[in-house]
Amino acid sequence: MNDAVFVLTLAAAVGAAVPIALAALGELLAETSGVLNLGVEGMMLIGAVMAFQVGDASGSLWLALVVGGLAGALFSAIHAVLCVTLRANQIVSGLALVIFGTGLSTFIGKSIEGKPLDTDFTPIRWGFLADIPVLGPVLFDQDPMVYATIAIALVITFYLNRTKAGLAVRAVGESPGTADTMGVAVAAIRYVHVMLGGLLAGMAGAYLVLGQVPSWSQDGTTAGIGWIALALVVFASWRPLRVLLGAFLFGFARRANFWLQGEDWAPDIPAEFLSMLPYLLTIAVLVVWGSRDLRRRIGAPSALGVAYDRDER
Amino acid sequence: MIRIRLERRLERHWWQTVLTPTLSVLAAFAAGAIFLAIKGFDPITVYRELFKASFTSTYGITDSLTIAVPLILTGLAAAVVFRMNLFNIGAEGQLYLGAIFGSWAGLALTDGLPTILGVAVVLIAGAVGGALWAAPAAVFKAYFGTSEIISTLMLTFIALYLMRYLIFGSNSYWRDPESANFPQGKKIPTSARFELFSDTRLHWGLAFAIAIALLIWVLIRFTSLGFDMNVVGSSDSAARYAGIPVRRTVIIALLISGALGGLAGATEVAGRAYALDPNGLELGLGFTGIVVAALARYNPFAIILVATFLGGLRNAGVALQGLPGDRVPVEVSLMLQGAILLFAIGGEIFSHHRLSISRANPAVVT
Repeated sequence: MNDAVFVLTLAAAVGAAVPIALAALGELLAETSGVLNLGVEGMMLIGAVMAFQVGDASGSLWLALVVGGLAGALFSAIHAVLCVTLRANQIVSGLALVIFGTGLSTFIGKSIEGKPLDTDFTPIRWGFLADIPVLGPVLFDQDPMVYATIAIALVITFYLNRTKAGLAVRAVGESPGTADTMGVAVAAIRYVHVMLGGLLAGMAGAYLVLGQVPSWSQDGTTAGIGWIALALVVFASWRPLRVLLGAFLFGFARRANFWLQGEDWAPDIPAEFLSMLPYLLTIAVLVVWGSRDLRRRIGAPSALGVAYDRDER
Repeated sequence: MIRIRLERRLERHWWQTVLTPTLSVLAAFAAGAIFLAIKGFDPITVYRELFKASFTSTYGITDSLTIAVPLILTGLAAAVVFRMNLFNIGAEGQLYLGAIFGSWAGLALTDGLPTILGVAVVLIAGAVGGALWAAPAAVFKAYFGTSEIISTLMLTFIALYLMRYLIFGSNSYWRDPESANFPQGKKIPTSARFELFSDTRLHWGLAFAIAIALLIWVLIRFTSLGFDMNVVGSSDSAARYAGIPVRRTVIIALLISGALGGLAGATEVAGRAYALDPNGLELGLGFTGIVVAALARYNPFAIILVATFLGGLRNAGVALQGLPGDRVPVEVSLMLQGAILLFAIGGEIFSHHRLSISRANPAVVT
């Protein structure tokens, strides 16, 4: 067995997990407040194309990341207006967001398609920790966004479970009518969390073009990661730390071809079939974790996907 | 203090159903104009050329109708299940499978058959392929409650790689052995091809797609299956109480939807590509079907009209490439489609709600 390649694959899987995890954490925030946003893929594309342009023009990765995030947040506001204020069908609105995001981002990005970006995130080496076999390269020699993502997951866990504001968010997702009676601003909370979701999705897209594949192409950049992130939220039963774990699993599925193609024992599997892996894994995960009965037990927000209308309380 | 709120309309007028989609199209064009202007194009010129390219000349109109053929079918694929609150968004993948099955049948079974039979074989095989591809999502949905939204989409990605493998990744039965450097699909015999209308690119698939739209209308309005589908769509528990087999209805509906997506792929093979051609099929026709269905409010006849309109929009995207000067990206039509859909969804609420603006006394708490 080729150990070096396997360790490299594991390390690459951590990087590949970052955009999946960021997008899924964002979706988790929106869903916890009761709004299902299927538009993750569209928000990621908008974040990616804006970040690429800013990164290309300014050379600053961090500025590009922030702009990508803000673009995603702004874009997600469309969904908030449609679903929270105009009480549109959240599923159809989310789909529309993907279609519009795909078209708009390709239109904006036409002139930069295929152009390389020569900046990249510099990995942080954690001193002697980085020299530990296997664990070192996998955990202690990664770029800053890896650690930022872990920190974001920790902050969200604390926010939702230990703060008063987080409790209000969960109340809005479980029973908006009750929350409204208690004086919680249902619509405002939903707007904020849909847009926080957009912010993280935009950053996920930005990280893809800045750190993972340093160039922009509409069909190659996201390649369905936004949809995988949606499945991941269910798989993680709406718990941020499990999102990290699941994202690593999907990241590994996305990078496993490097490893399998170099192995003697592995059968000669065509590249196209290896590319199917993450999608097959998503279906398998959904069938097991996404079943109706289990969903209720593992803590899906009760009011998920339902518009709140005070007149019909 | 001025209060603006949404109030339920007490009466609905017939013109509101026409007004909302029309206004959303206009609003989307206005929004699109802003983006075009930002990118340095003159919106009025672009829109004028767009309209001219698709809807004024004979070739423009027939080309628009040619693209409308698969769009009618993918639009129906979405409409049949969306109206039941079942969201098969994988018509794209079902279309690929329809093309794979259809081109196989065309290559293997139709040599020497009369054209009408040969085309029928291709279409039936395509429908079977599409339905098979929807089957896992249907069964998982009916028995485990697995979200069909995500599963049908994941199956689309798998279908995409499968199709690429058959042409680019292997010496499969579908691949033309003569095409070593630029892999292409093997052409199906003329007996498996739709006939063309005189010297245009438009083929008899248009008549077929319209007939299918009629069939779906009959299915929804006049059959007991259509009735069951309506009841399951409005309420699971009511359906169960009425003794309607919910699982079976869900599965059948998703299989019909998949078959329609497959038919779209088969008509593309029999009418336009004459082979399994990944480059010519990866056009997002399945995804556009969702826009078609939503704009047509899931009405089969409206789908024919909307598909023609969006077909023209897409056709224009390509035609605009031929204009002198700076090139308008083809994607302008995709952007417009998304914007139209967003405005249509936003406008939907105004067909049963109205804005009421009033001066409210802040002292009165409602």
